[in-house]
Amino acid sequence: MENNLLIIGVVFIPLAGAVLSLFARANNQAQRYIGFGAAALSWLWSLFLLVDVVDNGPQIYRLGDWQPPFGIVLVADSFSALFTVMASTVMMSGLLYAVNCRDKVVKNESFTALFLSMMVGLNGTFLTGDLFTMFVFIELLVIASVSLVAISDNRLGLEAAIKYIFISGIGTVFLLLGIASIYATFGTLNMADIAQQLSTGERPLLARAAAILLMAAFLLKSAVFPFHYWQPDFHTTAPTPVHAVLSSVVVKIGVYGIIRMTTLLFVEEAAQIRQWITILGVISIYFGSLGAFRTYDGKRMLAYSTFGQIGFILVAIGWGTPLAMVAAIVYAVNHAFIKSALLMLMGVVSSNTKEKTATLEKIVGVGTKIRYAWAVSLLWLLGGLALAGLPPMNGFISKLLLVRSGTEAEDWLVLGLVIAAGLITIMYMLRSWQTVFQTKPETFQVEFKKEGGDGILAPSFLIAICLGLGIYATPLFERAEATVEEITTPQIYIESVLPPELLLNPVADAPQEVQR
Amino acid sequence: MVDLLFAITVGVLFSVGVFQMLRRDLIKAAMGFSILFTAINLYIIAVGAFDGNVPAYANQPEDSQSSDPLVQALILTAIVVSFGSYALLLSFVTTIARRFETLDSDEVNELVG
Repeated sequence: MENNLLIIGVVFIPLAGAVLSLFARANNQAQRYIGFGAAALSWLWSLFLLVDVVDNGPQIYRLGDWQPPFGIVLVADSFSALFTVMASTVMMSGLLYAVNCRDKVVKNESFTALFLSMMVGLNGTFLTGDLFTMFVFIELLVIASVSLVAISDNRLGLEAAIKYIFISGIGTVFLLLGIASIYATFGTLNMADIAQQLSTGERPLLARAAAILLMAAFLLKSAVFPFHYWQPDFHTTAPTPVHAVLSSVVVKIGVYGIIRMTTLLFVEEAAQIRQWITILGVISIYFGSLGAFRTYDGKRMLAYSTFGQIGFILVAIGWGTPLAMVAAIVYAVNHAFIKSALLMLMGVVSSNTKEKTATLEKIVGVGTKIRYAWAVSLLWLLGGLALAGLPPMNGFISKLLLVRSGTEAEDWLVLGLVIAAGLITIMYMLRSWQTVFQTKPETFQVEFKKEGGDGILAPSFLIAICLGLGIYATPLFERAEATVEEITTPQIYIESVLPPELLLNPVADAPQEVQR
Repeated sequence: MVDLLFAITVGVLFSVGVFQMLRRDLIKAAMGFSILFTAINLYIIAVGAFDGNVPAYANQPEDSQSSDPLVQALILTAIVVSFGSYALLLSFVTTIARRFETLDSDEVNELVG
């Protein structure tokens, strides 16, 4: 297959933007415009890539023109392309928010470069077809995000950063051990090649160990129940644009990895893995939702809520029927837009106060006194409805699909628990809306800033996407359906990556029926 | 023989690394971080380094088998990445020492809730 330049563009444009922004160090405003420009260009590129993948099937790019399985190859199948579009959209909105942000951190001369490095790492992780390259991209993402949190306006950012760098070090150890074990067993790092060797049914002991190690690493990246304790600290102390990105798309790396593992690599062990994922998902939902309910800080509430929402996605992956996989993908994409919009709105509110606090007790009624108060209030209400899964927002579509796949899987206990947890979401979202935007206190507990807060362009854009996907959900749903059809037949991925002479099952055979 | 030696070394380095990382002193924990990554690098190179008897050259002599060059490339990358995170971690430790005037991780706990 020919090299497709669209793929390398999605990774290369943000990288070029990062370098370019370092040359413009003298002018901070110019730096942020360069960053937004590069992100917007990369976003357009990713949309073109998605269109190309829809029309022509999976695309590949061989780096340095080395043939797989020896060379590194970037692969864009429907799944990768969809997640890349999701990530690029949120990243671009994050930089749009940073253009009009009043935090001190965005004036740092390396802010734009670090933010764009995060984008490179994220897009690269979704697009790579090589396990070791995936590790490199994930590390790029971790280092960039840790640096951004450490220079945050919140002085506790440093403490959160040092906590996270230790914990992600452990995650990296798991990931590298898993990758080395796979290399020791199969002598290859190309995901398609590993998949076809695993599909022969051969299971050395090290391969099973690798499955568990990779699973642990991905669960840690997604902050699922036993590995969650770093997440609220790390996300809360991040600067607002970074928090919006971390809590919405960066946690999806684990979701991406788990879906890839259960559908492409370890298809035969998938049933066992799914059982565990369902249990962990339910526990995560309750830890996250109840944590969000009782916490004292608005940003922290949303960070806990992300932890719960990832649980919903994992439950859907755990059911594992085609409809449930569609639900998981739709849920993941919708949640990215909703959560980043809500976090930016909370940032708008807290940036109007002098000490930039988001503590709920202190910001009672602050939302009634800021500029464009009615717009921010309306956007927050719409976002809250979307997060709780009420019409007409896109959250309703994802909850509906989740419930339908639950009734199809006939897992009544888990379904009941999931619906009950949805009610907790409604409670904490409405409570925060009432406290911040509806109550009018006699005296405000905080001083206001004279020059006003951050701009609301980026959250309005994201809420508009949420509303659009809620009213007209067909494109996303159809894309997710096509994606599930493609990823449940691993042979499509394998054939599009490997040259024909390396295939164990020649192309002439009918595509293998995969056991679910 | 070398295989066994490597296995023992990796095991010892792993346990030392994990033990150090759980210490209260942040400097010692940072050293544990570095030791842990050294253990991983040794594990990766042990995967393919002992298969051959000559280095991987373009025109190697006949009746000889070269060792796997890919694992060497892999740990070069892994060393660079882990070195980068280690340097970043140490810079955080020095900043914490200045700001909190302690390196006891139990006293650096202002984040709660």
